[in-house]
Amino acid sequence: MTWLNNVNFFIKVFVAFAIMGVAWLAPNLPMSLLLVVVVIGILAVARVPGFRGYLKGAALLAGLVIISWCLNLMLQGMSWMDALPIATKMACRLIATTGAFYFVMETSTPGSILSACSAARLPPMVTLVLSLTFGIIPMLREEFERIGDAQRARGMEIDQVPFFTRLRFALARGVPLLVQAIRMAHAISLALAIYGFDTRQKRTTWRNVGLSVEPLLPFQEKAK
Amino acid sequence: MLKINELTIGFGEKPSVLTGISLDVADGESVLICGAAGSGKTTLLSAAAGIIPHLIRPGTISGQIELNGTPFSAIGKKALYASVNIVFQNVEDQLWDLSVEDLIAFPLENRGVQKSEIRQRIGELLGQLQLDSLRGRRVLTLSGGERRMAAIAAAMAARPRLLVLDEPTTGLDPSARSRLVETLLELRTEIPMLLVADQDAVSLAPLADRIGLLKDGRLSKPLSSASMMRGSESWLSAGVLPPTRMKKRRDAAAKGDTLIEVAKLKSSLTRSDGKHVLQDVSFQLQAGEIVGLIGRNGAGKTTLFQSVLGLSKVVDGVVNIDRVDAGNWTPAQRARRVGYLPQNMRRILFNLTVLDEVIFAATGSTKPNRDAAVIDNAMLSLAKYGLADHAGDNPFALSSRAQAMLGLACVESTGCSLAILDEPLLARDIDGRRMLDIFLDDLVKQGRAALIISHDLELIDDIAERTLILDEGRMVFDGETSEVWTSDAFRKLGWMPPRPVLEHA
Repeated sequence: MTWLNNVNFFIKVFVAFAIMGVAWLAPNLPMSLLLVVVVIGILAVARVPGFRGYLKGAALLAGLVIISWCLNLMLQGMSWMDALPIATKMACRLIATTGAFYFVMETSTPGSILSACSAARLPPMVTLVLSLTFGIIPMLREEFERIGDAQRARGMEIDQVPFFTRLRFALARGVPLLVQAIRMAHAISLALAIYGFDTRQKRTTWRNVGLSVEPLLPFQEKAK
Repeated sequence: MLKINELTIGFGEKPSVLTGISLDVADGESVLICGAAGSGKTTLLSAAAGIIPHLIRPGTISGQIELNGTPFSAIGKKALYASVNIVFQNVEDQLWDLSVEDLIAFPLENRGVQKSEIRQRIGELLGQLQLDSLRGRRVLTLSGGERRMAAIAAAMAARPRLLVLDEPTTGLDPSARSRLVETLLELRTEIPMLLVADQDAVSLAPLADRIGLLKDGRLSKPLSSASMMRGSESWLSAGVLPPTRMKKRRDAAAKGDTLIEVAKLKSSLTRSDGKHVLQDVSFQLQAGEIVGLIGRNGAGKTTLFQSVLGLSKVVDGVVNIDRVDAGNWTPAQRARRVGYLPQNMRRILFNLTVLDEVIFAATGSTKPNRDAAVIDNAMLSLAKYGLADHAGDNPFALSSRAQAMLGLACVESTGCSLAILDEPLLARDIDGRRMLDIFLDDLVKQGRAALIISHDLELIDDIAERTLILDEGRMVFDGETSEVWTSDAFRKLGWMPPRPVLEHA
């Protein structure tokens, strides 16, 4: 998946918006379903990190959307036969949209986003907001997994327990996750301050940025 | 010149963390501050770097700090942090999810430096600090030592006038320490002033022009490095292990049954060259044993204990715990027998109070526990490590030292067969070493065992009767500690052996 990671962040965002547009403009349910299959297929083929977790979340989202829309439409007098395709189409739109942006988030590091924004000479605040918006969710996901590992490493059985117990344990991780999120925010703000981030000073970048973003400094330049 | 004059700082419940500190660091000078945990080193360095009071406001602060004759208060933040940079002891406090090159470039990019100049500077620093192999890696995936070196490179990138380093040797293997000292010596003309706090005076002595000792927030007059390195009394009175070794070796205890047996372990995790991080690793630990594990940064030490705990997948090999194949055990089942104390306790804390952490260690459950016996035992454990008054505190609010003590209390409460201690930093001062000795003594008495992972070779020499060397994922030495320092495997590491014990405590 390396080359996908190196694709310029703005190209990926553009494609994600395009997929969202197609999903919302899709004229019928088969086309919506096809788009969902394509998006999920790309996530699977590209081996996007956390894919299984995304699938679980997407299934939950789809279920909730279909149930709530069916209920809503039936309360308005529509038959369930008529309501179901509409509700399913709505769920497809959401899954295609979230899947596309999930792909952008998981394949774009904060560093590559910073570089793409800096190369585009965007204002520092916009650069920061974009890199944090797209970069923080994978960081929090990793932190969530790390807390789980810490709990396992200290003897908390969270693997061989019934589903609902596992779900309760996962929800209970919200408190330490919140603490870590605050610490993370503190670390980022401290790094910004001591490393001279200034909203009035346009940033530069060390990377060569074009359709792709250079992933690492070539060896010959390090040997100088 | 950095001039600190009569600096007094206090926080909430501790009104005098620093009291009347005066210190000068001249151009071309390096000053090393040593002191026990909690003596105020981090507060002093944070003030010297302008973090206090610019970013962290203390309850009380008086006195003045000047840089080249201008008070810090009269220098804007932007100008101040262009002239002064700091690397914290908890290096995670200033890192986020960037690549090594991104991190080094960050201070330069923020200041609008041209691309060619940034690339050249990254290249220089990667070369000088021998970080070439880390190019393209995400900082948060590096080992503790590698992470610290990357942060130091970032702090040096913009060539600050004053570089402040808080415990820079933490987590660094002996080669990395030497490399750091050599680089800082080479860069003296580029970065003229250096203020360092560390408990490892021996490694940093070649760098330090003067050394001052901090005790209970008061700083002794910094004296020449040569004179400070000769004595031991002033160090002892400051609560720090002196440069002349005084610790005598622990007596070996009688051995019991085999508690852990690792055979031909091969990790699923691979290195960038495709080799497995662990390859055919075998060793065993018996009841009553204290065993040391040493190896370069990135040798695979972290992967090894993660594999033993079941947190890192293995493709081959066997882990027997208490003579039972643990291959099908969950990490939690293994963790009830193998206790783990990481270098940074924050990584494994998740309960809301200190007492809850110990109760969780004893019961393995986060459910509220009203069993008086469990609570009493937890309180006894906390009292043993001086934490009884902190039972209701949030564990994240404790100092690093107190968190390490909490870790000891938790591992002890687990009742595990084996305790794995990853770089126990608390052992670097007299009080901490005493606590570690108490912990190990009790462990041995109870017929349990400990594996100490450390870059502090003198600590290993003092407390471990047997030592393992892990190099490039292979166990290349397993034998008596008295023999390890003259072994071929150790010579291959290129490290200096521990200094001989000159006096006996």
